[in-house]
Amino acid sequence: MSLLRQAADWTRHHAALPLLAALLVVAGLVINFLGSPLLVNIFTFFCVSLMMVIGVQVFMGNSGILSFLHVGFVGVGAYVSGLLSTAPATKALGVPNLYPFLVDIQIPVLPAIAVGGLVAALIAVIIGYPLMRLSDAVAVITLFATLIVFHVIMTQWDNVTNGPRTFFGVPEYTTLIVALVAAVGFLLVGYWFRESSVGLRLRASRDDRYAAAATGIHVMGVRYAGFVLSALMGGLAGGLWAHYITSFSPKAFYLTEMFLLISMIVIGGTGSISGAVIGTTLVTVAREGLRQVEAFINNARVLPFEVYGLTELVLAVLLVLVLVWRPAGVIGGQEIGVRLLRNRRALPQEDVPTD
Amino acid sequence: METMLRVTDIHAAYGAVRALHGVSLEVAEGEVVALLGVNGAGKSTTLRAITGLMKPTQGSITFRGEDITGRKPESIVKRGLSLVPEGREIFSTLTVEENLRLGAYVSYSRETYREDLEEMFELFPILKERFTQAGGLLSGGEQQMLAIARALMARPKLLMLDEPSLGLSPAITDHVFELIAQLRERGLTILLVEQNAERALEVVDKAYLLSNGVVEASGTAAEVKAQVDLASIYLGGEDSDGTGVGM
Repeated sequence: MSLLRQAADWTRHHAALPLLAALLVVAGLVINFLGSPLLVNIFTFFCVSLMMVIGVQVFMGNSGILSFLHVGFVGVGAYVSGLLSTAPATKALGVPNLYPFLVDIQIPVLPAIAVGGLVAALIAVIIGYPLMRLSDAVAVITLFATLIVFHVIMTQWDNVTNGPRTFFGVPEYTTLIVALVAAVGFLLVGYWFRESSVGLRLRASRDDRYAAAATGIHVMGVRYAGFVLSALMGGLAGGLWAHYITSFSPKAFYLTEMFLLISMIVIGGTGSISGAVIGTTLVTVAREGLRQVEAFINNARVLPFEVYGLTELVLAVLLVLVLVWRPAGVIGGQEIGVRLLRNRRALPQEDVPTD
Repeated sequence: METMLRVTDIHAAYGAVRALHGVSLEVAEGEVVALLGVNGAGKSTTLRAITGLMKPTQGSITFRGEDITGRKPESIVKRGLSLVPEGREIFSTLTVEENLRLGAYVSYSRETYREDLEEMFELFPILKERFTQAGGLLSGGEQQMLAIARALMARPKLLMLDEPSLGLSPAITDHVFELIAQLRERGLTILLVEQNAERALEVVDKAYLLSNGVVEASGTAAEVKAQVDLASIYLGGEDSDGTGVGM
């Protein structure tokens, strides 16, 4: 096969990746050029959310195991990165009971984010070893229980997280451009993993665990790899988020946020990176729109009472509707390019003799 | 001929339910052997034990002189033992190409992959047409072809087929048995599990008849056939669609 044909072949099979990356970059640059603070904020937050969702997709989408735990890794990344990069004076003020050796440490933001990701990955290495042997509902419930453990530790470990109170003073670092570059990087990694040999074997184990084992796939091994990578990505995304939001409490890494991430990935379609991008886009737009509506209703006193939780309510309804009508998500389990190509072919109808 | 697979007195159970009570069998190199019996006789359980999907509680399994009892499936597949699971368990959201690539995974190298792929296209032309489609979009017969092709991509020394004709139309069943005969001519060693004893005995050298977890009869195809005729009532006799079993 000539090099040119190989390149053409590759582009045809992987059209989704350059397409999504280009859309993301163009949107980011246009918004950055316009400079509207509201739009810049929304887009930066969108990029960070997208990173978290891709992190979830790497494990959940490829292994088929619903993971509520992921937001816990985001929290680990956020706290580690925040603790390592915040000025000692601020930390001493903000977290009165902080261990002395943690007070003194201060390293630049980028390495701090990297360490945050690595710590999250290390935790995944430890807890994944037993957890990845579980499948189906048992795995889902155990991962959920583990999130509760994470949350309890974050709210109780006074000497590190300041307990349930707010951790503040994290240096600002994540601008729109930083978030954009990181999001494109995550897009590449997520896509690469899905197509990689490990990703392919993980997807096979999702389709049929026993057939996968009979094919010689070490199911637990590939799950473990996906879990650790997913945690690493979650930790890194958490770090970037921390340096964008600058103050947070353990509440930010619990059910509400995890529900948001899950709704993003499920609405878009768990099986592909395209699904992650589309789901994050739809939910972000819906969320920001609803927030405006909510603010408008409350400010204009259209109703005799204040409206709260409209966003969550509408998202929940949206999630139910998607699950009823399109269980595989808005775009289904395929990447967008491949899907468009495939739709043009006739589907085989029934069991007909092949000779 | 050298013995390739030797199963000695294996016992296995699903929880408290004992499924095998001491099954022994041998498959020599180049042989095609059938494992016959009704539903629940222990055929699939025997295959599951051989491939490591289930651990026997007692007994031993050796493959090419090496003890593989209780080993993990992935290490057994690497030794050259491929299973085509019952019910055409292909990876339905993955494309035909990805399914085949996964089959080749244990022996993957770029050159042999291309070569093997060409060979599979020759054996199963339909897979070439459906190459980029999701496995789940294939018809039942095509899925069975894909499942067999996937197992062959691993370049197995012993191929095990679990009920390959189950739920297929008579025409496709014919095709599957033709294929088994074809693979046999190529010198592949095959262990075939079938309810459809009549059809199976046409293509095999040797057969074992399982009943309630023990080997009830064994011998060459002709020898077993003599006994099968006696026992035709519960082996299904003339039933040729592979689904019905005489009550």
